[in-house]
Amino acid sequence: MDKTKLIGLVLGIIGFCIPLLISFPGLSLPGHLALSIFLLAAVFWMFETIPIYSTSILVILLEVLLLSAEGLISFGSGSGYDPVPFSQFVGTLANPIIILFLGGFVLADAAVKYNFDKNMTRILLKPFGTSPAMIMFGLMAVTAFLSAFMSNTATTAMMVTVIIPILAKMEMTDPARISIALSIPFAANIGGVATPIGTPPNAVVIAALNQQGLNIEFGSWMLYALPLALIMLAFAWFLLLKLHPPALKSIPLEMKGEWKTSKNAWILYIVFGVTVLLWVTESLHGIKSSIVALIPVAVLTLTQAFEKDDIRNLPWEVLWLIAGGISLGIAMKETGLADWIVGSISWEQMSYLVLLSVFAIVSLMMSNFLSNTVTASLLIPLGITLATSGVVGGPAGTLIIGLIIALSTSFAMVLPISTPPNAIAVSTGVVETKDMIVSGSIIGIVAIVLVILMTNFYWPHIL
Amino acid sequence: MKSEIYILVIEDEPEVLDSIVRDITEFEEHFNVEMADTAEEAEELVEEIIEEDGKIGLVLCDHVLPGKNGVELLVEMQKEEMTKSTRKVLITGQAGLDETVKAVNEADLKHYIAKPWQKEELVQITRDLLTDYVIEHVKDPLPYMKVLDSERIAESLRTGRKMTDQ
Repeated sequence: MDKTKLIGLVLGIIGFCIPLLISFPGLSLPGHLALSIFLLAAVFWMFETIPIYSTSILVILLEVLLLSAEGLISFGSGSGYDPVPFSQFVGTLANPIIILFLGGFVLADAAVKYNFDKNMTRILLKPFGTSPAMIMFGLMAVTAFLSAFMSNTATTAMMVTVIIPILAKMEMTDPARISIALSIPFAANIGGVATPIGTPPNAVVIAALNQQGLNIEFGSWMLYALPLALIMLAFAWFLLLKLHPPALKSIPLEMKGEWKTSKNAWILYIVFGVTVLLWVTESLHGIKSSIVALIPVAVLTLTQAFEKDDIRNLPWEVLWLIAGGISLGIAMKETGLADWIVGSISWEQMSYLVLLSVFAIVSLMMSNFLSNTVTASLLIPLGITLATSGVVGGPAGTLIIGLIIALSTSFAMVLPISTPPNAIAVSTGVVETKDMIVSGSIIGIVAIVLVILMTNFYWPHIL
Repeated sequence: MKSEIYILVIEDEPEVLDSIVRDITEFEEHFNVEMADTAEEAEELVEEIIEEDGKIGLVLCDHVLPGKNGVELLVEMQKEEMTKSTRKVLITGQAGLDETVKAVNEADLKHYIAKPWQKEELVQITRDLLTDYVIEHVKDPLPYMKVLDSERIAESLRTGRKMTDQ
């Protein structure tokens, strides 16, 4: 075990013990236990003492043991805490948003299996010609589009296989190498915010909003987030071209490939199209996106287009990671811990705008160093409580604070460790970390300013 | 970054050994290069590396050596669990047909490089075979992307689902 992990282990255990040893005024016994779990999870997530999904699983176990009705501790009726049945903590694994993601994972993995992602890229890139600026725009648009429906990481890995042959033909000193290599992870990160299934932090936030009775349709989320994604995509393109203007005049873009035409491939193409269509038209037919998500799971498995080995290869640990985050939120709300934390900070001294900015900036800063999902999991219980306690005000406030947290975490792309797509781009050796820091910081700051502007001038008008 | 993956070079003529090692210096930042001048010495090295939890990714081996010859060494390595998946290459001018066939059939020989070799050829083969090995055996291949075939490693991330969003 290396030093950081060891420090995390010690701090995590100390964090877990503090609420057990010290009594905080105004916090109930279950609140103390939830705080123990919160501190342990926060430290383990930050130091990655154990893999982040393991921490999520540990959170669920500890909640079942310490906070559920079937757990080890019996809370008297005088405690004011009505213990949550353990099935509610465990059931987060079948939360509608998890099922939505499961559907997304199956679609995405099946797309890779039948080369759908790469063939789409080949077709979509054709109209962009050969000028470096337009090629880059095409690469970014396609990356963002695919990463809105597939994982940002898988999209980046695929696009890297597309750009490496292009980069290999360019002069080693051409700045376009840097702008192209940075454009892929940035576009993937940005594309992730566009739909509910684009990236896991969206799931954590949507699940928390659902618990407040706010149902977010697939299309509504796109209405809230897509404009921001489009503006940021255009801005990132413009910024990279300014910072690293291409020296060469034209880039030869040759992608070879053929559409698979087997029966199963056709089934995938149709299921992919139908599912996405049903998702974005939820307001017309009223079928919830998480129910639609069962279509690809069912159809692709019953036709054997998606086989047993493919099911085993799904990124299940990401679902555990999200479930742990949702479950932590439930515990914090039910035990009154979130109320207590929110109540112990004097928010009244801050204006509405400052308050929202604080959440945006903290989300951005944290998720540059931590996993985006973890950042959202730690912040959303506080944000929601703040909104429901009346400081921010109303259902609109709850939704806005949720959007701020989800979107701001995804715009953290300063360092290679900020997101897996960034890590892949730097690993190619084409980009240096310092280039990423410069452009990633500017993108982060501009995104935060835009998010705050939207809380004033866009979201309140469409909610 | 020093990894736990080793490249083993076996050659009895010091000048030739030097020139092989010099040609593959670009891999030294990411792989440990170990040298031996006999098969017996190579076997000792292999044992030491395995004991310290190292892996042997690639062996570049001359055929004619004092004592046990190169093909025999490769065949024995193929029989051992820990070195079975090591990519095996002969660099020689003097292996006859029979021995070469034996190396292909019994040691899963990946490449036969005839002396004198071109540096580009040696580097390309080394890169290809190490990329195979890393894709097959390394959980996190990202650190190797820069020095190896980054396109193939990215493709393995795509299809092998080794990385996910967090």
